[in-house]
Amino acid sequence: MSQTVTILGLESSCDDTAAAILRQTDESPPEILASIVYGQSELHARFGGVVPEIAARAHAEKLDLCVEEALAVAGLSLRDIDAIAVTAGPGLIGGVLSGVMCAKGLAAGLGLPLIGVNHLAGHALTPRLTDGAAYPYLMLLVSGGHCQFLIARGADSFTRLGGTIDDAPGEAFDKTARLLGLPQPGGPSVQAEATKGDARRFRFPRPLLDRPGCDMSFSGLKTALLRARDTILSEKGGLTRQDRADLCASFQAAVVDVLAAKTARAVTIYVEQTPAHPLLAVAGGVAANSAIRARLETVCTDLGVAFTAPPLELCTDNAAMIAYAGLELFHAGHRDDMALVARPRWPLDQAAAALLGSGKKGAKA
Amino acid sequence: MPSDALILGFDTSAAHCAAALLSGGRVLACHAEEMGRGQAERLVPLLEEMLAGAGCGWGDLSAIGVGIGPGNFTGIRISVATARGLALALDIPAIGVSTFDAEGHGHRGPHIATVPAPRGQIYVQTPDGKAELRPVAPLSDLPILTPPPPDVLAERIARVAAERRGQALPRPAPLYIRAADAAPPRDPAPVILDDA
Repeated sequence: MSQTVTILGLESSCDDTAAAILRQTDESPPEILASIVYGQSELHARFGGVVPEIAARAHAEKLDLCVEEALAVAGLSLRDIDAIAVTAGPGLIGGVLSGVMCAKGLAAGLGLPLIGVNHLAGHALTPRLTDGAAYPYLMLLVSGGHCQFLIARGADSFTRLGGTIDDAPGEAFDKTARLLGLPQPGGPSVQAEATKGDARRFRFPRPLLDRPGCDMSFSGLKTALLRARDTILSEKGGLTRQDRADLCASFQAAVVDVLAAKTARAVTIYVEQTPAHPLLAVAGGVAANSAIRARLETVCTDLGVAFTAPPLELCTDNAAMIAYAGLELFHAGHRDDMALVARPRWPLDQAAAALLGSGKKGAKA
Repeated sequence: MPSDALILGFDTSAAHCAAALLSGGRVLACHAEEMGRGQAERLVPLLEEMLAGAGCGWGDLSAIGVGIGPGNFTGIRISVATARGLALALDIPAIGVSTFDAEGHGHRGPHIATVPAPRGQIYVQTPDGKAELRPVAPLSDLPILTPPPPDVLAERIARVAAERRGQALPRPAPLYIRAADAAPPRDPAPVILDDA
């Protein structure tokens, strides 16, 4: 007998409030019936970064509206839904909590199964939603809050090969934009400036390339950019547009070099495990950067590994990925109860040593 | 029948998880647990236990009354988000009730409603409805009300919601009073010079 599952996903772990509805019949590819994202960029713009309390306030009052819009777009009612999936971490806890509580209200009121999803698993499983990627594949998750290499072996099984030991590249792009008077979010504005600049004018550091392994560091790059900027400011009293473009191009080149070199190492480790269909997938907001994408594609071609990057709207934060991860967990029999905990920290690979953070809150990544 | 309407009220605006179930004007159940943390995990199970104890289910509810604070920001979001999810699922109204309104329920005449705020400050609502955060309680000839015990608070939230049922009301939203702590970056953007 054929089985159709329709799942509602909710996401609110950073500055996007999102709801999506996904439907899958048997083994056929899942269909995204609706994917609604309410951004908050304008609320945070003047602060030069996401302010957790402002984000939490917006999520709590938008989630139900977002669900209603997703239902309207899909032409469905809540009675057509079979399960509720929600991001239960990691992320800004105020937003995660709002999502988890809204999902609990929905699941309790409808008498439906509730499935807590790891936000990172949502990103990491997206290549299966978009490309039907077969396990095990290598994943580079690179966003405003995260940067790590993962081998995805199953919906609940990941091995982390390495990641950033301090800032995420997306954070560095935002900070660069702020230091150079460019609009937020920094990724697109820095990339646009970089196309007009000379990437060789400033020699910014490529940290940790001299060390083995796949760990990365981006905080020193921010500092180097700040120093270069301040040197120009003290000489000229300001930045010319060319200075700014050159700073952006040199900064982006450093990020690209680090990601490319570490990706080559991660691919080598992954390929040693002889996957049947070797694949590198990249996801997260920074995967939208075309220079990064192009270099990673070259790395993969050179090493004989397929490359995929989900479409932009599924690379950045969205709820379709949460619904999809929820669907895989649902099929695996995973269910949460009404005591589901919202977690600010939740490493995907629980066995790996902490990259970042420790103490009573546990590892951040 | 409106007189038999089943109303569930709940509140997590301070260090507690509190709920009350009203049928008509009658309290079927009323319960509060003190807790400094863990409201997000405890709230829905507590509500389910209360409904089951009264021999009811979610589908029997006519409306939800939810405490919107002022109080702990995270706490009021926990209750408001839950209430909005439940209201959507059950297709019934969720009605936001402030702690000020719950304090004033059944009180005759003008008064000043207060709620303790962090660092010894106080949230104050004056008879004109204006709410603000003050360093100390106001000096006034009017009676000054303070929050009742959590179980009574939940009961009054349910009662106020019962009274407001049928009115066209916005969806419940937390009553923050205090703006979010956030400051624009101190480091100003650099001057951009026109290229020579």
